Amino acid sequence: MDSNLIKSMPHRRTQIEHLYNLFAHKNEPQIESVYIYGGPSSGKTVVVQRVLEILEVNHAVINLIECYSSRILFESILNKISGHKLNPLNPTPYARCDNMMDFLYNIEKLNEVKKLDGFVLVLDSAEELRNMEFNLLPCFLRLRELTGISICVVLISELVFEKFYTKGGGIEPIKIHFPQYNKIELLEILSLDIDYCRNMILEHFNKFIEFDLDFYKNYLNLFLSVFYRSCRDLSELRYMSRINFIKYCEPVINNEHTIEDSMALWRHISPILKSSLEVLYLRLDTTKSANIKEKPNPTLELPFYAKYILIAAYLASYNPAKDDKRLFMKHHGKQKKKLKDIKLKSKVSEQLNTQLGPKPFVFDRLLAIFYSILDDKDNKMGFNNNVLVQISSLIELRLLSLVSDSCFLDGQKYKCNVNFEFIQFVSKSVGFEIKKYLSDFSHI
Amino acid sequence: MGGNRQNNLQDIRICLKNNLYSQSKFVGNIKERNQVQDLLQRTVKFGESNSALLIGPKSSGKTKLINDVINELQSKSSFKKDSILVKLNGMIHTDDRLSLKSITSQMNLENVVDGKVFGTFAENLSFLLACLRTGEKHTSRSVVFILEEFDLFCFHHNQTLLYNLFDISQSAQAPICILGITCRLDVIELLEKRVKSRFSHRQIFLFPTDSEKSLDYALEKLEYYLIISENFGYKINPEVKNKWNSNVHNILKDKKFKNIIQRLVEIDTSERTLKNILINIIYKLKEECLTVDMFQEEINTLERDDILVTLQDLNVLELCLLIAMKHHSEIYEGQSMNFEMVFSRYIKFVKTNSNIQSVPRSVVMKALEHLQSLELIAMINVGGGAKTQKEYQFFNLLVMPSQVNEAIKKTPGLPTEVVQWSSSSYA
Repeated sequence: MDSNLIKSMPHRRTQIEHLYNLFAHKNEPQIESVYIYGGPSSGKTVVVQRVLEILEVNHAVINLIECYSSRILFESILNKISGHKLNPLNPTPYARCDNMMDFLYNIEKLNEVKKLDGFVLVLDSAEELRNMEFNLLPCFLRLRELTGISICVVLISELVFEKFYTKGGGIEPIKIHFPQYNKIELLEILSLDIDYCRNMILEHFNKFIEFDLDFYKNYLNLFLSVFYRSCRDLSELRYMSRINFIKYCEPVINNEHTIEDSMALWRHISPILKSSLEVLYLRLDTTKSANIKEKPNPTLELPFYAKYILIAAYLASYNPAKDDKRLFMKHHGKQKKKLKDIKLKSKVSEQLNTQLGPKPFVFDRLLAIFYSILDDKDNKMGFNNNVLVQISSLIELRLLSLVSDSCFLDGQKYKCNVNFEFIQFVSKSVGFEIKKYLSDFSHI
Repeated sequence: MGGNRQNNLQDIRICLKNNLYSQSKFVGNIKERNQVQDLLQRTVKFGESNSALLIGPKSSGKTKLINDVINELQSKSSFKKDSILVKLNGMIHTDDRLSLKSITSQMNLENVVDGKVFGTFAENLSFLLACLRTGEKHTSRSVVFILEEFDLFCFHHNQTLLYNLFDISQSAQAPICILGITCRLDVIELLEKRVKSRFSHRQIFLFPTDSEKSLDYALEKLEYYLIISENFGYKINPEVKNKWNSNVHNILKDKKFKNIIQRLVEIDTSERTLKNILINIIYKLKEECLTVDMFQEEINTLERDDILVTLQDLNVLELCLLIAMKHHSEIYEGQSMNFEMVFSRYIKFVKTNSNIQSVPRSVVMKALEHLQSLELIAMINVGGGAKTQKEYQFFNLLVMPSQVNEAIKKTPGLPTEVVQWSSSSYA
């Protein structure tokens, strides 16, 4: 077996061996189908591809994400098998192929020209097959039986195979699981990055600093202690570790700390790591904004009255209409304490309106609440065109959405689409205390 | 010496693989086999039209039976000359247009049909059959239709193909024999009334007998697959072969091995599972002998819960969310939940345990989306699901609480707070 392959893909030994056993002996009968599953970036596709390349097995790799219809899938498989290159000026496929019958026919025809025995067809993101015609998945699983040619189909997916069971029922392929790397394994794999990071530092600062593996591993340890609990995705971790490593080296470049002073470096990096945890998966470009601590502004610059309309819409969405009188009228009379109110205080969080999502409200109610909360500020604004324009621009911005059919001119219904964090920010900017007016919080 | 051993191993492997993949002869179900054979022969010899359904569970040897019968008939008599075999598969021929196209090409009539315009489906089909009729009833060639996955043909529009085929078999037109193969027991109910009345209602059932579910039968099959027999095309050193065979015999008598196979038979008696296990073992062979441990290992992987393995691949945050969902569904008896509810439950947990790092909302959302893409939770659309915000979309937990508990127990290196939270009865 190829020891280089095992070395170049750490901690995938059993999987490589398993695949190697299945495909190494080309002159012997081949298996029908293999199912490979495992978490994101656990090396499924890479390992399969490399093993097949090293064994010089005739194969084609198709990613189902690229094939949104079965026709494209069939034609791209045939193109790959036949080695047909698409001409960019006149992109005609190897053969037109609309359905499984044509596909099988073309495969058999190709077999006469090229020997297809021992061919391996790799279908990546195979879970997409379930959303296509019902017959694709069972047919690919028994392609050998249907064509009479010894073609092996390898399906790669993140899901467990039980999610593929259908009413018609397919056949059980041989399954290989790619487990996610654990912390120690991740540390080892990420430390392979050291040469890249040396170059990156050189490019970024135009200055070379000499560091050894221990220094880098030390950094990775710190990095993983923050990130490992919320992310085990290798490619995401690699990206984050590279970005933060530049920040980690900054004090050394600026001669603030020496390279040996790991405690000082740790104190420097730990708040940076914590704040970059917030942008995990978001891939924001932090190079332009000089200060990473500066959070991206969550609000749009809205006009003053639009902000109030938005707040009113939020209140209308998240308060029951029967509470309006109590919340917004100045002289609503003395409230009797009822048993219900006492119960309200012990309301469990699952029944809170802020947890169940926005409820639709009518236009009149929005206006009423809007004027009532404006009153508090002693701000007078007449009902005019401006208000209506603001509402439609809020809808345009998707901050409000129209729930009812737009053919009803009277009594249109709206919904507020912003979350609590956002509305809190908006109301703070106009000096409005939103919690006072939410029935979920008003009893507190 | 090393090279020699490699060769020996390769010889054994090739022999065993051939054993596994060679189209072995059909065994058992003599009565049913004779019935099918008789049916086909009557069609070909006397020009009788027949129809029958072959019903049996998956991998019970339905297709094998038909192939076996046809192979025998084709080798012996003038069957080949007197008849045309048309094989259709419901999985491939998904509508009647495709079926007809395939029938035409399998009957070698493409050039005859070419350029002709047909009014109806029936016209087209009867034209095809008329082409075969050269003279009287006795002299014309008969057509044998084999419809695999017969139940899928029942979902074609108006069941036109089935109607026409059965209609021809009822009226004394060209002699045809229709054999449907399916695993659905209720297939008759799928037929429309006018189609059903034209069907001969001849049903042949293939059920595994009790003896086929027994340990002895499984051992017999294992012996069949693992023993390298005398009259085998492939040349192999007799010494190596004898050594291998005696090793197999020893293992088949082993008590521990029998226990393992007994366990397998209790879980799954299908041929496919047995073959998959053997494939894994044979492909992994490093030495020229089998051990009981190899089988034990395979049974262990067969019994493994794949969901549990996926859960163990999750990170701590995702596991925390699953625990929160588990608690929610336990408290509310399986009611659906949304992100806000799970998130507030999670925040409550984080606040009470200072050791747990708090994670920003956007990252938690991403973790939830990952769970969704792994299909561990399923969104339910309550009225225009696309319009509601992501945080408020309701979903159901697709994992059993026991599976979450099991995964938490088995994942190493989890913070103790998380483990305790998972096992605590209230949240």
